[in-house]
This record gives sequence, C-alpha cells and structure tokens, in this order.
Amino acid sequence: MSYHNVEILFVEDSTDDAALTIRALKKSGFTNKLHHVINGAEALDFIYCRGAYADRSDKEFPKLILLDLKMPKVSGLQVLEKLKADPNLKSIPIVMLTSSNEGPDIEKCFALGANSYIVKPVDSDNFFNAVKEIGLYWMVLSQPAH
Amino acid sequence: MESVNKELESFSYSVSHDLRAPIRAINGYTKILKEDYADTFDTDGVKILQSIISNSKKMGELIDDLLAFSKLGRKQVTVSEIQMTDLVKMVTEEFVFEDDENIPEFEMGILPNAKGDKSLIKQVWINLISNAIKYSRNKRQTKVEIGAYTKDNLIVYYVKDYGAGFDMQYYDKLFGVFQRLHSQEEFEGTGIGLAIVQKIVQRHNGTVWAESKVDEGSCFYFSLLA
Repeated sequence: MSYHNVEILFVEDSTDDAALTIRALKKSGFTNKLHHVINGAEALDFIYCRGAYADRSDKEFPKLILLDLKMPKVSGLQVLEKLKADPNLKSIPIVMLTSSNEGPDIEKCFALGANSYIVKPVDSDNFFNAVKEIGLYWMVLSQPAH
Repeated sequence: MESVNKELESFSYSVSHDLRAPIRAINGYTKILKEDYADTFDTDGVKILQSIISNSKKMGELIDDLLAFSKLGRKQVTVSEIQMTDLVKMVTEEFVFEDDENIPEFEMGILPNAKGDKSLIKQVWINLISNAIKYSRNKRQTKVEIGAYTKDNLIVYYVKDYGAGFDMQYYDKLFGVFQRLHSQEEFEGTGIGLAIVQKIVQRHNGTVWAESKVDEGSCFYFSLLA
C-alpha cells in the first residue's frame, strides 16, 4: 500500500462507521486519496512517520483529518491536542466526529483548536449529507493557511 | 435519592451514547441494500428494507429524546425574573407552519412574571403549545387559549385547546417517559414532551396537571413561584 499523496487522514475505530463514511465520500464524488487508520496511536504514527509508517515521507501532510473522538488507547482528544500544539501541523484542519453531542467534549475540542465538530447522525441520509458537506467544505471551498 | 438519580442519569447517558452507534450501522447498511442491491429484492423485500430504515431512524429519535431528558436532570437551574408575556409571545411567533396546516388562533391573557430558569420555562411553553397545536389539527377554525391566575404565592399558567383531548382514565400515564395516549398514525411523537415539562416544573418546585375530555380538548396547567 502506498502512503503517497494522502489527502484525507481518517481516524476511526468503528469498522461500520468507517465503511459508511468512506462510501458516503465516494458516492458524493470525492476522489481525494484517503487513508484510514483505526486508532489514535496509529494516526500519530502516520503523521510523524513512525512505526509502520517509518518509510512515509515526512514532507507530505494530509489536507484534512477526520478524527473520531472516542477510541481505545490514544483518544481523538489526545491526538487533537498533540497536533494542534505542533507548530508544523496546527494549520491542518481537523474535523472531530462523535456519536453524541453530550458532555463537555464539544467545548474541550474547540478549546484545543478543532476546526469543526460533527455529531454522527443515526439517519443515514443525514449521515451522508454531513459527510458530503465536510468533504465539500474542507477539500474544495476552504483555502489552505499557506 | 440524590445518588440514585445520579446513577440513573449517567446510565441513561452511556446507554444513549453507545446505542446510537449500532443503530447508525443498521440504518446505513440497510440503506445501502436498498440503493445498491434493489434488483435483488422483490417488492416485499424492498418494503421490509424500508421498515428497517424507518424503525432504526425512530429508535435514533427515541435515544436522542432520552438523552435530552437525562440531560435535564443534570442541568443547573438559573433562577431570574421571567417576563412571561414576552417569552410566550416569542414562543408563539417562532412556530413554523406548513401551508396546508390548520393554524389555530392564539388567545393570550395577561401573564404575570414568575421566577425561574428562562430557557427551561421556554421549553415548557414550547412543548405545551406545540402539543395544543398538534392535537387541534383535525379541528377547523379552532383556538389555543393561554392564560394565568394567581393562587396564594403561586402563579398558575395554562394552555387550553379544543382538540382531540385524551381519556382521563389514563391520566397516570400522561407525564410518563415515552408514554403515549394516541397512536403514531393519529398523532406522531415519541412521548417525551410532557415528561420533559413535568421534570422542568418539578425542578422549579412547581406542579403540573391537566384536565381533558375526548374530542373536546385539553387544558394543561403548571405553577411557579411568584
């Protein structure tokens, strides 16, 4: 598998949510190269070219990170905190994905610098639209910081 | 009692949170079957897929309602003087009606101010008035009366409609979570609205009650400290 030119890094531990999100992106016409990792630790390995990603070029950063909040080992919150504290990486837009709008998580995410916060809807039409809009906004409309 | 409540709230929170994920998967995969594998199913099969989709969606709504309800128990009540007439005017003006909907006339009396949490009391009015509108929709040229009276150191507010009403025999179920006195086909809903009303009013140390006659209408009352 090639890690060359990955544009969207998708961090999601649920196989089902991952399959549905990837399908929604493809169905709405996004051809951007997406790489799916299944937890926060792997996401950090990918970004920092460590472990299984040691041979990835550290000059290439994804244009967008879709980050699930609740994951085993390293949580989405920890990944967010780490990336937004890194001057080289903090301009990469990060969209948080979560199952519920409950709890203190929303404020915490924005305080740490998350660019967006999406509650995954139960209804698949809404889910599809949410994913499509995230893709459209961050990959097409939003201008990069530099 | 306090600790039991706390436990119940954290339980319903985690249930709500963790239940959403598998339901999302059921809904999503069924939609894929319906969209991408439609040729493999006959008419009955497609109907069944549609039932799975709408039922899982319904379950999602129930979970969201449960979550909203459990949230109420934990929300801090910030008490201030509420300009009740302004608040209720705002609520009635915010309702959005469909073109073909039967819009009742609102008749509003003088509403004295009371002490309470404005955003929570607003929710009480929204739930009571939207119920009045919903259960009036089969009546032509009908009205919803909103008023108040004082009794000792309490103010009693009411919302009265001339709609479908309910059978007082089932009164004890009226304010229960997910309890409904009408079928989904007659009047849609999950049965959380009045449970939320009761919870909010109780958190203000007030009372909520109702009287009704089938096919003649209902009147809902709640009391707050003046």
